[in-house]
Amino acid sequence: MEPVKRKDAIKSIFEVVLPNDVTASTTGLISREIFTKYDSARNIYVPGSMGLVSSIALAIAICHPEKRVIAIDGDASLLMNLGTIVTVSAYQPKNFLHIVLDNNAYGSCSEEKSLSSFAKFDKITKDVGYKYVRIVDSVVELKNAILNSFSGPSFILAKISLGGKRDFSRPTKLPEIKYRFMNFLKEQDKIKDK
Amino acid sequence: MKINCLNGKRLFNSLDKTGNKKADSLHKIFKEFGIDFSTGVPCGVLRHIISNLKSDPTVLHLSANRESEAIGLAAGAYFSGKKPLVYMQNSGLFAASNDIASLLIPYTIPVFLVVTYRGHKEDDAAQHIVTGRATENLLKSFKLNFSVYENQNLKELVNGLFVKMKKNNLPTILLLKRGWNL
Repeated sequence: MEPVKRKDAIKSIFEVVLPNDVTASTTGLISREIFTKYDSARNIYVPGSMGLVSSIALAIAICHPEKRVIAIDGDASLLMNLGTIVTVSAYQPKNFLHIVLDNNAYGSCSEEKSLSSFAKFDKITKDVGYKYVRIVDSVVELKNAILNSFSGPSFILAKISLGGKRDFSRPTKLPEIKYRFMNFLKEQDKIKDK
Repeated sequence: MKINCLNGKRLFNSLDKTGNKKADSLHKIFKEFGIDFSTGVPCGVLRHIISNLKSDPTVLHLSANRESEAIGLAAGAYFSGKKPLVYMQNSGLFAASNDIASLLIPYTIPVFLVVTYRGHKEDDAAQHIVTGRATENLLKSFKLNFSVYENQNLKELVNGLFVKMKKNNLPTILLLKRGWNL
């Protein structure tokens, strides 16, 4: 079977997100592809500070327990902030879904190999206390895993191939994206309060 | 001056559980400005501040393993409508400097940082000397508003920082030296 491409993995995620879901995406091509194709008020991008997407998403998940918060992470990015899985496990947010698109490389820069093949992300996340852990290598499995990830903390390791389109635009007007995102969270709160 | 003493008072490595007046008044100011979220990496010099934050039921406190992680958690809390405070030592300020520069500043995320100022004099432990010398330069080069507490009126100083932070929406730093709370 052909390995899943980054573009198809991202497409699958956005095909099954619910209107209430929040997505936070990591540095580099992952955020740039999402920004170019699936930009929306529910998205927050982490163009710098590589590794922090899961920390940002974790705090949002804890502050908004009624909303599913999806961190779209990369393998090298997670390795940069691996302590985050312990923090997630300590606070046990059921609504936190951590998806790692693993191409075993620093795909956004030089495509050098990362060390993710040694990481056993599925085992360590399960060991520290994620409640729902899946490894997927097809778009169907990825979608099914997302659709079933409501009792977390959840972790989905999606094996993807290296390569793909690189010339996406970059999220630049970050304060505007910030206010749009904060308003999205606030509006949702109002709906909840009604 | 011995490393662990100032005016004959023991500053460091004592884990007394008693409260501290200056830390308490600082906490009151934090509350006046709406601080309702805190995270960070502990420092002995800040222990009274941290203990006040952790024991306040109106402040959501999350533990972080590294200062960078604390910056990420604070950013997420801010997006969620919280007013975050992050505590760390200045060593950690350097560890998290890219996260402040590439996440908080470009997104205009006002985080109030309470940072221990180690190594501001060359008589501190060896590992603090270089970062101590560079701390204010780092903050100046980031064009961030900060103050060093040197026994001025604490309330006025911190009020000033919060008022400016409200205007510029940028991370703002209070630097506290060892012995600040005596």
